[in-house]
Amino acid sequence: MTTTNVPTTATTRTAAELYAALIQSQPLFILDVRNEEDFARWRVEGRAALETLNIPYFEFIEDEAAAVARVPRDRDILVVCAKEGSSEYVADILRNHGLNAAHLEGGIVTWGNLYDVRDIADNAAGRIVQIARPARGDVSFMIISDGQAAIIDPLRHTNYYLETARQAGASVTHIFDTHVHADHISGGPALAQATGAPYYVHAYDAIHPIDMLPAQMPYEHLQDGQTFTVGQYSVKVIWFPGHTLGQVNYLATAPDGQSYLFTGDGIFLKSFGRPDLGGKGETWTPILYESIYERLPQHIDDSTVILPSHFSLLDEDDGQGRFAAPYGQVRRQNDALVPRSKEEFTAYVLGNLPVFPPQYVEIKRVNIGLVHPTEEQAGELELGRNICALSQ
Amino acid sequence: MATEFDQTLDVKGAKCPMPLVKSRKAINDLTVGQTLRVLATDRGSVADFQGWVKTAKNIELVAQETVQENGTDLYVHYLKRTS
Repeated sequence: MTTTNVPTTATTRTAAELYAALIQSQPLFILDVRNEEDFARWRVEGRAALETLNIPYFEFIEDEAAAVARVPRDRDILVVCAKEGSSEYVADILRNHGLNAAHLEGGIVTWGNLYDVRDIADNAAGRIVQIARPARGDVSFMIISDGQAAIIDPLRHTNYYLETARQAGASVTHIFDTHVHADHISGGPALAQATGAPYYVHAYDAIHPIDMLPAQMPYEHLQDGQTFTVGQYSVKVIWFPGHTLGQVNYLATAPDGQSYLFTGDGIFLKSFGRPDLGGKGETWTPILYESIYERLPQHIDDSTVILPSHFSLLDEDDGQGRFAAPYGQVRRQNDALVPRSKEEFTAYVLGNLPVFPPQYVEIKRVNIGLVHPTEEQAGELELGRNICALSQ
Repeated sequence: MATEFDQTLDVKGAKCPMPLVKSRKAINDLTVGQTLRVLATDRGSVADFQGWVKTAKNIELVAQETVQENGTDLYVHYLKRTS
């Protein structure tokens, strides 16, 4: 038996390690070995520069040499499949051919369920915490101040919020949804049940816009201009209809005057929430115009930090995984927000609507308690990245 | 009418990529024109076998069906060696 001192590189990467690599723009090359159909439905997305290649694993079984020849030899290859087995199988083949390859632990399913928790602000007034699900482009937040915690737009896996509050020694006092979401299942009702804190949503969103059926879940109705106190922060409700009729923004203001606007699917950092998911795009677009150009500017200034509930590309972050930017910067960088007349805006919006994912109608049913999916069904409904923004 | 077959490969419980790896080996052992019946519990095998036969040189996917066995789904694939 001989021993060598050749350094070994890791043959696996966790989803969290993958996310760190994507944020740091490491020159990663992703080889996705699922079948073409699954790859087309959704895949690992990072910054725009991320390189990805799809070669189904069975091509390595049919003609190993030909498949291997299509993979670059001089790159760090991360092999991805649905669960793990095929990517491990292909990574082994690649290493046998002298390539530098690892596989994603747990497969793309684990990547899809990765949550990332990091602070947006941490100062004398308290903390603003971002809790993101990067694979879906879903972002939620907590305000933690003086032992109180408010949760904004919580996602389905509620343990991350409970754990963040517990670690901070805070009790959850408010659960706020900006609107009834269509792309993901809200953790709001479940968190209300777990903590006893009230779940707030605007009553206009408690009616399913397609079914025209009322919600079957407990919630507290929000009023435009209503104000809450979370520790040292005041939190004001700003009605922002357009993406949904009952969408609100929450404006949190610290004692030093610094303000944070939780926009939900109102304005995003590089786009804004599409007005057609309720099935009334043409009717709701002028309402969205008034929210963006007339209603919102009365409440914020260029220093207000904008915190949306979605991103479409990782490039929208600040370089460190925080999806936040001052309003002044957002106005400059967001092509969707350039000044337009109502007619120009309507033409722009209706000309840039992406595909309407059919499952979004069902997800809204789930979010107002009309249907109750199993864990597996919930995972299926939430497959892939959100399509809540206008096309860019 | 039931699909005819010559051999059966039981890969129940096997996870991706093993149902396909073992099917490839079993097909290599068939004579041309014979059909292999594959019994799998991996749901991903349905789409993967469809993708596989598009690139495979000598395989035809004759039929696929899902049947219930002891309360779980069983995915049955019929693969014919064509050359």
